[in-house]
Amino acid sequence: MIVFVLVTFGVLVIMRIGSNSAPELAIKLAGKPLTEAEINRLVSDYQLDSNFFVQYWSWLWNLIVHQDLGYSPATSSTVWNLMQPRILVTLLLGVYANIMALLIAVPLAVRQAQKRDSWFDKTGSFFTFVGVGVPAVVLGVFLQLIFALKLGWTKDYFKFIGNKVYPWDDLGLHFRNFFLPTVSLAIPIAAIYARLLRSDMVQTLQSDYITLASAKGVPPRRVLWRHALRNSSLSLLTAVGTQTGTLLGGALVVETLYDLDGLGLRLVTSVLSSDLFTVQSFVAMIVLLVVVVNFTVDVSYALVDPRIRQARTLV
Amino acid sequence: MSDVAVLPTAPAASSDLAPAPRRRRLPKVGVLFAIVFLGTLVFLAWFGDYLPFMRGADTKIRVAGKLQSRYKQGPGNLAWWGSDANGFDVFSRCIFYAKNTLTIGVSATAIGLFFGSLLGILAGYYRGWVDRVVSIIVDSLLSIPALVLAVMVVRRLDDIKVDISALDWLTRKWQIIFTLSILAVAPLARIVRAQTMALREREFVTAARSLGSTNTRILVREILPNLVPAMVTVAATGLGILIAAEGALAFLGLGLDQSWGFMIEANRRRLDEAWWATVFPCLMLFLTVLSFNLIGDRLARRFDIREAAV
Repeated sequence: MIVFVLVTFGVLVIMRIGSNSAPELAIKLAGKPLTEAEINRLVSDYQLDSNFFVQYWSWLWNLIVHQDLGYSPATSSTVWNLMQPRILVTLLLGVYANIMALLIAVPLAVRQAQKRDSWFDKTGSFFTFVGVGVPAVVLGVFLQLIFALKLGWTKDYFKFIGNKVYPWDDLGLHFRNFFLPTVSLAIPIAAIYARLLRSDMVQTLQSDYITLASAKGVPPRRVLWRHALRNSSLSLLTAVGTQTGTLLGGALVVETLYDLDGLGLRLVTSVLSSDLFTVQSFVAMIVLLVVVVNFTVDVSYALVDPRIRQARTLV
Repeated sequence: MSDVAVLPTAPAASSDLAPAPRRRRLPKVGVLFAIVFLGTLVFLAWFGDYLPFMRGADTKIRVAGKLQSRYKQGPGNLAWWGSDANGFDVFSRCIFYAKNTLTIGVSATAIGLFFGSLLGILAGYYRGWVDRVVSIIVDSLLSIPALVLAVMVVRRLDDIKVDISALDWLTRKWQIIFTLSILAVAPLARIVRAQTMALREREFVTAARSLGSTNTRILVREILPNLVPAMVTVAATGLGILIAAEGALAFLGLGLDQSWGFMIEANRRRLDEAWWATVFPCLMLFLTVLSFNLIGDRLARRFDIREAAV
């Protein structure tokens, strides 16, 4: 919580520092010339003539009490109207990317840990190592190249067809639109998950209780997937939390690359046009997402690990 | 084998824990590649002007006096990596723009390293309220996605520069260096803090303190030298990440015009008719980042540092 407050305050200061007079700031916030009345309204509504603390307080107050994130004169709509349809787009993108990353990473890492030092493990490690480092831009371009030039997909596939296609509108089109962005986001994350899970699994598989389970005659497959994976999934869970930031940062690039109209693309546009209210609220939203995901991760430790559950009930 | 006989190596007490010797070949090949690649890149980028086979980055390709614009030249003898929309040589642009990318990456890492380790050492050594304050700063910085922060700061620095004439020296290049160094501070501070906390409990620190050393002396003479491996390792990996971030910034339109990211952005919509103008800058970006990652990985194995952050 304190992180959220500090970050949003910091963002406000970053976005507003350097513009000394209130009318000037109002014009900056608007991103276009304004009439006298409009300037006065903006200044009084958002207390632009006060210091940063008062401004922040009024922003937070408007947010909590009136659910008002501010007004974006550059696009002639409220920030909330800009943000609301795009949250879902980015959220879906993030969820799909995470699911895909886990679907790639978990089987790969488990198999690697099982066949440690085999050729499969080595090639797998090589690919995950390359995957961790590959920049999102590069990955996106290569994917476009493969799908466009080699597989003969038309150029339309790189455009987000039909503004904001939700799953309930047209499922096929929805997945077609989201496929390449998801893959470009998922691959680096999958590589990170796989590397973490592999090294953790290798350690887990050496521990005594795994030997005991095998000795008791538990089938190897069950030992691997139930006993070992469950224990190692804690580090994976932590990684899901820490990678949320990377994911949302990557969304900026990927959404721009594929013209996917989500939080990231809108944020980039707003930053470029100095639409300060919008930027502030969008960054706040993104930070909120990061904080919420990390909180959820903390809570779900207890679901995975009975020891933590026990500790909580004892205390 | 003669080395093993001469050196008093510890006998492998637990044979199942001894690392398999064959696994060590791959990273060495990787590091070799990284060094050769980066070395060649640096050499060509800095001395390219004096090499006969390099075209200038701003020299247009002409065949019999005719301008080869609109991607006319594919990769071939005349232009190794083809020509771009305005008839510039993609190869020489890729090479010369490495100069910008590498200087930005190295300077940003240096600045980030300085402030990051300063924060980390102070937090890890003094603990208490210093630690709490530093931790909050680091947590806040880490909770904003790096690219979001970078985009915002670069843009604002641009605006601020217009308002305040004292900041005229703050060119785009410096804005990016400054921004990326902010990104580097948090992960570095975190790992340095963790290492310092481990080091301050060690015997030699206690010994130094009981000999009457001041805190400053302990920090500079005892702890700092022991932090160098960790710092170098994280810096190498971080360099790769910062270069990737620089590429992304340029791609989003907030970087230098003379950079790989901008080349990608400028040409990517023509991928189907001129793949070379987009793919080669991508390849350069990718290989540079990969090289730094390979070096970082090798150092991490060498010094046995587990990747905590970044």
